[in-house]
Amino acid sequence: MSAPGGSPLRRWLGYLLLVPVVGVALLVGAGGDDAGPPTAARRAASIAGQVRCPTCDGLSAAESESSASVAIRQEIRRRVDDGETDQQVLAFLVGRYGRDILLTPEGSGVAALVWALPVAGFVLGAGALILTMRRRRSEPLRSATPEDRRLVEQALGR
Amino acid sequence: MSSTVVPEVRAAPPVAGPQRDRHTARWVAVGVGAVVLALIVLLATRPPAADVIAPSPIVGQAAPEIEGPGLDGATVRLSDLRGRWVLVNFFATWCVPCQKEHPELVRFSQRHPADEVQVLAVIYDDQPADVAEFFEKLGGDWPVVDDTGAKVDFGVRGIPESFLVDPDGVVRTRLIGGVTAAGLDGLLRRAEGR
Repeated sequence: MSAPGGSPLRRWLGYLLLVPVVGVALLVGAGGDDAGPPTAARRAASIAGQVRCPTCDGLSAAESESSASVAIRQEIRRRVDDGETDQQVLAFLVGRYGRDILLTPEGSGVAALVWALPVAGFVLGAGALILTMRRRRSEPLRSATPEDRRLVEQALGR
Repeated sequence: MSSTVVPEVRAAPPVAGPQRDRHTARWVAVGVGAVVLALIVLLATRPPAADVIAPSPIVGQAAPEIEGPGLDGATVRLSDLRGRWVLVNFFATWCVPCQKEHPELVRFSQRHPADEVQVLAVIYDDQPADVAEFFEKLGGDWPVVDDTGAKVDFGVRGIPESFLVDPDGVVRTRLIGGVTAAGLDGLLRRAEGR
């Protein structure tokens, strides 16, 4: 019987096989919808997916069937058909509803906090965890006194 | 069955520890209490839900055109009302706050001559026949227009929602929720600089 873990090559073989599998899965997952040239309908759907439904919570204008979202989808489609770029269409909607109509917060100004706070929280949490664990490790261990040993012996019935 | 006593081998925390923790907990409780109290004061002193002015990117901009069939089938346009103050009111008959504000709009429109101040109702997700019945029952003789694209052009997020448009066609104020005749009068006075 070979030693646990086997040779380094055998140990890493599983991980090496995982690389193409994960790569293919990521490619399929990320690029599955992008097959072929972007049609007007696909572009309009993509833009609607970046816009918040103004009258409901947690849904994009692409997912919601509220009349406001239906009207937004119609407006987006009309503008796409008129030859406007994605950024122009989004700028129009921001000009009517305000910046919070976009589902993806901006990376600057106060909205950048949405991105920065989770990172800061993670860093602070990890730092606090490391400090706590270090402090616990550095706490002096008290060696058992003869009295402690006697109590243990007594409890174990020896 | 006898229980096994396992001696504690890790050093016990300092004696002052629990006392310090209690102290910290007390200060945290005081802090939380202060925040809750501040929230209560903030909510209690907020203005009532009527005549609530809300920001909008189109305030200060030329009002988007509204155009569509009226209840009698004739085309109604916002631009045709240029030269007078217009309260553009997005509403639906099934919306309870709209039903509540309607008598206030009737009162407001009766206080002002139509060639100076005009209410323009925009149907929001409703049937013109139901709207006609609604007006017949509750009164109001201002123009009503069915333009489904207007809600996007004005960035409407819910109903009732109203926009005060000045005689030059510029949006001056956005009001969310129900309005009152007194609130609208005050708004108009301030907008006119009186």
